[in-house]
Amino acid sequence: MKRSFILQAGCIVSLLITTSHVWAGDAADFSAAAEAVPLSVQAAGADGSEDDAWEENWENEWESTDTIADPLEPLNRFFFHFNDKLYYWVLKPVARVYAGFFAEELQISIRNFYDNLRAPARAVNCLLQGRVRDSSEEVVRFALNSTVGIIGLGDFARDVLDLHSSDEDFGQTLAHYGAGGLFYINWPFLGPSNFRDSLGMFGDAFVHPIILLDAGWEVTIGAWTLERVNYTALTLGDYELFTETALDPYAAVKDAYQQYRKGLIENK
Amino acid sequence: MVVMRKSMLQSIILLVVLLLTVSVFTIATGGSASATEKPMDQLQVAVDDILKILQSAELKGPEKKDERHQLVLNIVADMFDFREMARSSLGQSWNTLTPEEKDTFVGLFTTLVEQRYIGKIDSYNNQKVVYKKQLVKGDKAMVYTAIIDKDLEIPIVYRLAKNKGKWLINDLKIENVSLIVNYRRDFDSIIRKEQFAGLVEKISKQLEKPEASN
Repeated sequence: MKRSFILQAGCIVSLLITTSHVWAGDAADFSAAAEAVPLSVQAAGADGSEDDAWEENWENEWESTDTIADPLEPLNRFFFHFNDKLYYWVLKPVARVYAGFFAEELQISIRNFYDNLRAPARAVNCLLQGRVRDSSEEVVRFALNSTVGIIGLGDFARDVLDLHSSDEDFGQTLAHYGAGGLFYINWPFLGPSNFRDSLGMFGDAFVHPIILLDAGWEVTIGAWTLERVNYTALTLGDYELFTETALDPYAAVKDAYQQYRKGLIENK
Repeated sequence: MVVMRKSMLQSIILLVVLLLTVSVFTIATGGSASATEKPMDQLQVAVDDILKILQSAELKGPEKKDERHQLVLNIVADMFDFREMARSSLGQSWNTLTPEEKDTFVGLFTTLVEQRYIGKIDSYNNQKVVYKKQLVKGDKAMVYTAIIDKDLEIPIVYRLAKNKGKWLINDLKIENVSLIVNYRRDFDSIIRKEQFAGLVEKISKQLEKPEASN
């Protein structure tokens, strides 16, 4: 059962690699233009009549985040405080020691490694959203970064070929087909989410290499913990600053999650 | 592979040409003459000034922290329209306030935002700022920028409005999270339970706390 699934996946992958060759050439050209944008600061001003729609929607576009229902608020708040304490008492001290041992370059490599493991999920979700090109780009990225990029520690595909990752997941795919977040959930350990994105998390797990390889739960939890510690080491101070300059940190985090996800769904 | 190499060569040539055009253009316009006209130029000048302070050898070290902060905040005060931001962060509640209450709130709000901003700036470690594009319509504009931090590109979009000939920021989105919308939801959550008085009290208390984070 599992083997035939992997076989199928292999077929899709090879198919995608063939299609991706067609555009690999001009993708590099596009990237050159994109790279030049920050340089051509003066030339970049689009103050002409480029965006008429933009003017009309301008205020709405900027601020149309709807608030999400929160029927579980008492429970969510409880877990928010739980995660908060977990951060200050466990995660942060551990991450500080970790950061003392491992250089920032290594931390970035480890982040790349974990990011690369999510490439299959990104490829599948791009495809599910009808974005064949982005999907094949993810496949190429995964193939290259897992090999030339040394099991994903480096981002060869981005640094050399300027192939960028499309940050897609199953939650966004569901949203693409009209699913709303439904209600807010603050998971213990996992943090802010909503009903749709929780389903999404579950769905994406099926194509995560660690799950595909049928690693034991100890390995899965161990890998997840290392990812969290590594991430925390790279972002030390951000959580504190945000929550300490908010008045109701729970409300602020809930909204930030909403806005952040909305941006990803709309691919801004 | 051959196709790839060819296109890479093409892109390198394109890049060189672009670089040349840009530098010629910069020389031709003679730098800062028109710098205050366009929102992106104006933003860039201000950000560059801040970066100069943060990179300055004389202002390094923890003992120079207050001096450094003050210099940065002087520039920040000129970049943001704090009154407009405060108004917008309160939403409907703003209209119910007396002029005195409004002034008090603007002051508190400004300090709150400054604290968040200065906290972030303290961790500045030579990250690169890139300016992507600007959209201008009359006296409103958006400027798209990004910060390259630890090998990741973090998009920051500024929304500006022209006020007496000067572009002022009235909101910014970091990774799509709007500062003002976020504060509005945050404040709403307090106002619903404790009204405006509760909000003022809470901000004052927050600001009295010893400085946040590392």
